[in-house]
Amino acid sequence: MTAPTPLADATHAKGAEIIVLEGVDKYFGDFQALRDINMRVGRQEVVVVIGPSGGGKSTLIRCINRLEKHDRGRIVIDGIELTDDIKNIQEVRRETGMVFQQFNLFPHVTVLENVTLAPRQVRRMPKKDAEELAMAMLRRVKIPEQARKHPGQLSGGQQQRVAIARALAMQPKILLFDEPTSALDPEMIKEVLDVMEELAASGITMIVVTHEMGFARAVADRVVFMADGEIVEVGTPEHFFRSPEEARTKQFLAQIL
Amino acid sequence: MTSVDLEPTDAGRHIPAKSPARWVRRNLFRTWYDSSITIGFGVLFAWVLVGIVRFLLTADYTILRRNLALFMLGSFPRDQLHRPAAALLMIALATGLAAGALTAHRREIAAVTGVGYQSSRVIDVVRRFWPVVLLVVVLLALTETITPSLIVVGALGLGLIGVWAGRRIRARFRRLAWAALLVLPFLVYFMLAGFGGVGWRGWGGLHLNLFVTVAGVLLAFPLGLVLALGRKSSLPAVRTLSVAYIEFVRGVPLITLLLMGVFAIGFFLPAGVRPGTVTRVLIAITVFESAYIAEVVRGGLQAVPKGQVEAAQALGMTPWSIMRRIVLPQALRATIPAMVGQFISLFKDTTLVGVVGLPEVLSVAQDVNTQPDFVAQGLERLTLPFAALIFWVGSYTMSREARRLERKLGVGER
Amino acid sequence: MTTEVARNRPPFWRDLRVLRIVLQLLALVGAGVLAYVIWFNLTNNLRAQGIRTDFGFLDQPIGVQIPDSALSRNATVRQAFLVGIKNTLALVVVGLPLLTIIGVVVGVARLSTNWLAAKAAGLFVELLRNLPPLLIIVFVFRAVILQLPPSRAPITPFGWLVISNLRITVPGFEAHDGYPAFQVLMGIALLVVVGAWWWRTRLSDRTGVAHHRVLWSVGLFVSIGVVGFLILDRPFGLSRPSLDGRIVTGGFSGLGGYFAVLIALVIYTASHVAEIVRGSLQAVPKGQTEAAHALALSGFQRLRFVMLPQAMRIALPPVINQYLNFTKNTSLALAVGYAEITTLAFQSIGNGQPAPQVIAMLMLIYLFFSLTISLLVNLVNRRLQVVTR
Repeated sequence: MTAPTPLADATHAKGAEIIVLEGVDKYFGDFQALRDINMRVGRQEVVVVIGPSGGGKSTLIRCINRLEKHDRGRIVIDGIELTDDIKNIQEVRRETGMVFQQFNLFPHVTVLENVTLAPRQVRRMPKKDAEELAMAMLRRVKIPEQARKHPGQLSGGQQQRVAIARALAMQPKILLFDEPTSALDPEMIKEVLDVMEELAASGITMIVVTHEMGFARAVADRVVFMADGEIVEVGTPEHFFRSPEEARTKQFLAQIL
Repeated sequence: MTSVDLEPTDAGRHIPAKSPARWVRRNLFRTWYDSSITIGFGVLFAWVLVGIVRFLLTADYTILRRNLALFMLGSFPRDQLHRPAAALLMIALATGLAAGALTAHRREIAAVTGVGYQSSRVIDVVRRFWPVVLLVVVLLALTETITPSLIVVGALGLGLIGVWAGRRIRARFRRLAWAALLVLPFLVYFMLAGFGGVGWRGWGGLHLNLFVTVAGVLLAFPLGLVLALGRKSSLPAVRTLSVAYIEFVRGVPLITLLLMGVFAIGFFLPAGVRPGTVTRVLIAITVFESAYIAEVVRGGLQAVPKGQVEAAQALGMTPWSIMRRIVLPQALRATIPAMVGQFISLFKDTTLVGVVGLPEVLSVAQDVNTQPDFVAQGLERLTLPFAALIFWVGSYTMSREARRLERKLGVGER
Repeated sequence: MTTEVARNRPPFWRDLRVLRIVLQLLALVGAGVLAYVIWFNLTNNLRAQGIRTDFGFLDQPIGVQIPDSALSRNATVRQAFLVGIKNTLALVVVGLPLLTIIGVVVGVARLSTNWLAAKAAGLFVELLRNLPPLLIIVFVFRAVILQLPPSRAPITPFGWLVISNLRITVPGFEAHDGYPAFQVLMGIALLVVVGAWWWRTRLSDRTGVAHHRVLWSVGLFVSIGVVGFLILDRPFGLSRPSLDGRIVTGGFSGLGGYFAVLIALVIYTASHVAEIVRGSLQAVPKGQTEAAHALALSGFQRLRFVMLPQAMRIALPPVINQYLNFTKNTSLALAVGYAEITTLAFQSIGNGQPAPQVIAMLMLIYLFFSLTISLLVNLVNRRLQVVTR
């Protein structure tokens, strides 16, 4: 159901709409993972999605870059509608970047090659330019010295930062994060969150699914609470954490805070 | 009762003891049951060993000596024997180059990652490949002229030169070197058959077994790859066709496919096309191997985590690009040990082509007993173990190398 | 800025759904065309050579005398093949249990603390695993069986065996009067055993007493058997082969070829099974034994409740795969002339039967065996699946 607060439906003050979801449903067999999702995200907005496991958060962002196919409704990314048209799907994937919980780096090539692969293959960038871009991205995530190593030789936190650099190298308009710190040891979570905070400050549109409430409080423009496949409540961090309205929201926050 | 020792993972690591006497007592005579087994087996071993040694020392090896060329090369014309010799030297050189390049490659990786690397000395290599050394010694002992020994020495020399040279190939050319290795079978073929040489219709003996194995795997691999991809396809029609082919071919014995190839394939082809027996056999073996290779490749494909494909998709890569750069490199590397296993399997199965009339090693081992000088002397007890030795050395060595490779690939990153 | 959205369907050459259907149609059409071309060639070529194109050859006379069967030269091909299937089954039914027992024993021996036993088992496995099965069959046949005394002068060791290079006869099973009654009695015994099993289990669950149900069941069965045997005055016995000139009567007899193939394939496949058994025992995670120790289970209990069930789960699929290999390898009897289906197919073709049909039929028979065993694997696998989240 559409959330009661006006911020869920209207565009954010910072910019124009870049992601539109209207009436989106998604089924896995008989199980309904997404129920009538309506959401709009504006440019340069940082949206943090929280909620219990199995609530549909991951499914939601995986529908945005078509790793999952939605069964009903419309999804429009930067003016391109996600349909069965291959051209549209490829365009959307070029404009969105994703960071996974399990990093999913390519183990058989070096860190540098991980980051340059997509720019060279998809955007047809010459090798030298791609490597310069990759090194710039690696500097941005603060691990340029690891460029020649293989992912298996890096720590979890370092691998995730490489994954972020890899996504950034495609210069996407939107960055999607699927529980980026859930697979990390506690002492490495901070380094990744720091990078993500810096990215948010730099003005890129971000949708982050996470359990890190500190991050949400510090960086989010809006917090979205999802449970049982629907958006239950939406609000600014201040509103959300201080005075949630829905019963389910209160229950969830009580369990984790 | 004799207990089952489940903890040690290397067979053979037994209860250590302070002195030989204690070791004997602990490992052989722990309980009365243990002791009786030891005594029983000891007697059996001794009897068998004495019997074998006595047989080997008193047997007349003429049948092997005189027919050695038949065993190795079939009826290759005597005046063309320089061709196999040249091919052997070429293979030795190429193997040396490959080994040298591999060593240099490994050393470079070790320098970057900081993991230690030690090159092996010659004596270690000899110890590792002792069955091959044994076989070569036996074969040379059976030869009647000095030429084969000279050729073997020459091959060794060329191999060492190859290793020396291979170490010095620059990294950029190393990829070329690996590609050259794939060209090697064709070069060998030309060496043997080109310019008035002997085509594969005239090949026999161990040479024929090796040819059928290598050709079979080379031809079956592309087909097997296509089948494996088809089996994983999301399109039901393609998947069903692939599964049907694979399950059908894996459900029948190889001999039925060989019979079909030799006796019936002429009917399936347009009228007038009459391939020779070796060609028919190759077709049958290609069909057979492709189904098994498809299963091996499938295992490799499954070893690639799904998240890799998703990450590549999220980056906007096309399915073809994903397959080529992400999935296949990892999948194929994962299949190498199993592929070697399949190679060994096929090598052993090449004995079946003797049943349909080709002169491979096992059938030679049986046929030489019909020669007038050797009829009805029970010399199968000599020729068959000789053929068995050849197969055993090949199979044992290759499977040991495959196991080493498996361990290396499992532990390291590269 | 409002979003501009294309409401139309994408062009068909970029539409995923259309592409999926088109690709599949292409694959099916391609396969169909290939099949048609082959079929066309096949029927044309057969007809041109005057060979029949149907399966009527099954009613033709086989033209060969099949040893150890009641068939004459004029028996039909169909009858001959039925005998062939029986012969193949004779190898499979006797071979599979034998190779399992030998394989398990050798596999466990490989892990024994007795150094000699372990080494002997290791030698057995490493020697046989690396040899081609055909070579072992040919060796056993030519270097062992054919070296036995000729059939006109067989030897009779211990007075209970008759051995020649053509045929080996061992003591066999012989039913006397009273055997049917004995069978009925043992049927009743089976019911009693089931009841005892159930009773002892209930008792154990209720009172915690060790149920010893295996001991009870086996004990009851054997006791009833012995009593029945005595009361019914020896309802069955051993039939002793006796030599009368060149004819052997009585006992259980098998051709030299049969024994060669049986022995060779049994030891070959057993060597593979031994490796599987050893690997599966070692593959049970060490933590399991440690946990079992921590729970104060005895050695036998550890084996029975923790090690063996898990080892079996690991071992069963590859072992059943070996059974499949054994069944397919019986086709190698062609090399020694034992009259199972492949040999018969080969001989039929030699006698003029149409090759494509004969071989197609041969393949279908093996496919049937393979699919049956595969189904068994899947059933067993599903039941044994360790349930995960």
